[in-house]
Amino acid sequence: MGAYIDHFPREAKLIRSAFYTSFIMLALGGIFGVIQTLHRTDVVRFIDSADYYTVLTAHGVFMVIAFTIFFLVGMFTWAVTTSLERPLEDMSFSWLWFLMMTVGAVITGVTILLGFVESVDVSADVLFTFYAPLQAHPLFYIGLVLFVIGTWLAGADWFRSWWAWKRENPDERIPLPTFMVLTTMIMWYIATLAIAVSILAFLLPWSLGIFDHVNPLLTRTLFWFFGHPIVYFWLMPAYMMWYLLLPKFAGGRLFSDPLARVVFILFLLLSTPVGIHHQYMDPGIAEGFKFIVMTNTMFLLLPSFLTAFTVVASIEHGARQRGGDGYFSWLKSLPWREPAFTGMALAGLMFAAGGFSGMINAGMNINYLVHNTLWVPGHFHLTVGTAVALSFMAGSYWLIPQMTGRRLASKPIALLQVVLWFVGMTFMANSMHRSGLIGIPRRTAEPQYQGFEFEAALGSVSELNAQLAIGATLLFLSLTLFLWNMLITAFNKSAESPGENVIPTPLSGPDDSPAVLDNMKLWTAIAVVLVILAYTLPLASIVSRGGLLGRGGDAFPVSIDYLALFAQVALESAAGLV
Amino acid sequence: MNIHRYEKLWLVAALVLIVGFIATITYGSVGLGIAMIDDEAETVNPEKLNEHEDFGEPGVKQVGENEYEVYVRAWQFGFDPGSVEAGLDPIEVPANSTVTFYITSEDVIHSFSVVGTNINTMAIPGEVSSVTVEFDEPGEYGILCAEYCGAGHHTMEGKIIVHPEDEYAINGTDVETGNDTTDETEA
Amino acid sequence: MSSAIQEQERERELGHDEFDPIGTLALIGIYFLILASMWLFMYFVEFLGNGPTVVGMI
Repeated sequence: MGAYIDHFPREAKLIRSAFYTSFIMLALGGIFGVIQTLHRTDVVRFIDSADYYTVLTAHGVFMVIAFTIFFLVGMFTWAVTTSLERPLEDMSFSWLWFLMMTVGAVITGVTILLGFVESVDVSADVLFTFYAPLQAHPLFYIGLVLFVIGTWLAGADWFRSWWAWKRENPDERIPLPTFMVLTTMIMWYIATLAIAVSILAFLLPWSLGIFDHVNPLLTRTLFWFFGHPIVYFWLMPAYMMWYLLLPKFAGGRLFSDPLARVVFILFLLLSTPVGIHHQYMDPGIAEGFKFIVMTNTMFLLLPSFLTAFTVVASIEHGARQRGGDGYFSWLKSLPWREPAFTGMALAGLMFAAGGFSGMINAGMNINYLVHNTLWVPGHFHLTVGTAVALSFMAGSYWLIPQMTGRRLASKPIALLQVVLWFVGMTFMANSMHRSGLIGIPRRTAEPQYQGFEFEAALGSVSELNAQLAIGATLLFLSLTLFLWNMLITAFNKSAESPGENVIPTPLSGPDDSPAVLDNMKLWTAIAVVLVILAYTLPLASIVSRGGLLGRGGDAFPVSIDYLALFAQVALESAAGLV
Repeated sequence: MNIHRYEKLWLVAALVLIVGFIATITYGSVGLGIAMIDDEAETVNPEKLNEHEDFGEPGVKQVGENEYEVYVRAWQFGFDPGSVEAGLDPIEVPANSTVTFYITSEDVIHSFSVVGTNINTMAIPGEVSSVTVEFDEPGEYGILCAEYCGAGHHTMEGKIIVHPEDEYAINGTDVETGNDTTDETEA
Repeated sequence: MSSAIQEQERERELGHDEFDPIGTLALIGIYFLILASMWLFMYFVEFLGNGPTVVGMI
């Protein structure tokens, strides 16, 4: 055995490309992140407040579409090839999906950034949620479509590997890493169906001027049909790291393979039929539907609660093998000097806190308190912004040497980086949650109003803003250290064996669990039934109230009729020819 | 399945938490009567709000002894009524009243969020949010739009004034109805 | 973080039956208490104390 690159040099190249692309996206997202924090807290304002929303769109899309998902495809390719012990079936197909994702991301990204260029009439200041009647340039939607199709093909690639492996190993249990990839991708296929319908059937034709209007509540509901499961799409690669790598780094073994399978199945089943919990404050959806969705959402806590136990127990197993004892003093026996371990452990700790604010978000009527306040970004900066992002960065300290065969440039700086992220996010999340509770809104360039002021129960608004700005600055510094470390590592001359690409066998293996857990068809069918149950009636009601294409209303900014424009240009050039 | 007994214990504890959360929310709905925004109100055509019976002339209407209805139109970037900064009237109601807000949007998705309270709803074009609230005490509240609605989103704000009961006259005109003092009016 | 280092640091090999995650139970017990008390605080103090609140049609 050796490093990953020794076994799978071609795949290692693909995975490296995915990781490096994700780091570029992370860098862009980070720059826009710090600009907007300093702007909204009124520390440094060098952009126009109208441009703040371009910055915010870029921050959201680069971070949670591009950074997370490019990393995911690298991670999942690693998981499938490592655990099936076989190369990808056809590298040219794999490069095809990677290329498609890249082209899509570039098209969407450039369309957003053109919002800064006033001389070009192209913009997409619609934020990550692109709620109609806010309208983006058609290229924004086209880029997203290409990107999502790229991820579909990537999923097909991994399924293809699994099917080929199954033919050769008909009686074996699916290896856990591949099992995690397959369940996550099935969830993703179900979820992205809604956004495909929303864009292809409504938003794209509308932005091209084919339809005059759309039903805003319908496209919004379709967005959240996709928009909640996507958070688990971000999270599952981090979960995978906690289940597969964290026990290894701690010097232990995964506590329970069967429960890990149960957890991923629960995510497959429950991630999608819950999207309406983002719409508790929406008119046009009956209270009964909201209540059903809340119960689903609350039960979605269960797989995360189970994960908390299994992962901590696996770490504890490592600590005790390293000589730790007592109720709490075993914590001292953990390898806290290892950035990959410490980063993931801190990420997990922050996820425990983010779990709490998520429970509040899930509660139907308590949502009146926090809906669309800064509390909500506070929550997801703990989850996707730390549990996911910090795990990805920490994991990179192990994965990038595996994919390059080069030594990590600096371990002490890596350790400093993960701790700095944790400290920065503590400030930021504390400020955001508390600001939200006094009603300060999210997604606002200048949360300072003429007619009233926010009243802080503890401290003051300026203290909250200062914490937010300090947090963002520390996070940006941490991000810079990470990128610098990765850059030097990528060009590191010193080729040192990065250790073996081995995932330790679990304490309780797959044979302890019933074979039905591996029945993908069954779980897919149940997941589809649950989605149909949760969405048929609300969607039918929304369409019957507001119509498939809405009842009226303009697009904003007032849309250009592209078809008419094309026709005009074509006619003029034809006339010129004649 | 080989599940450790501690893990079984945690599974039970986790389920207790989940059921406890759902029970708390249910108590809020059934026991305390906290209602969700729902699909009771009729839809409207955002292009024809001017012809609408109620939204054509948005504002405060008295419908019972202590009951009021307020029709509010949200637009880029204000509330009618509410946006004092845009030269419109504030929303004025008396204390000890039950007020039902009907809120819709004439352009994009907005929100109607009353700062420092649990009054918080989306304003979606074509849909009407109906929100019933009891104002017990006199006071002033800021309203803001908490849903990004375009380049001027951060300027979108408004005001609700809850007058002492004996100083309130409909249409917000400053009619003195009792033998109150100027001090109280200022407060 | 090579596996050779990990082998050196490993003092003993614990199998599934010799390992009781009592430390995990202790930590997660504390988490349970935090969650339960913070939930009650958020609902009954922060939320219900933040009136007026939306009530049913009368």
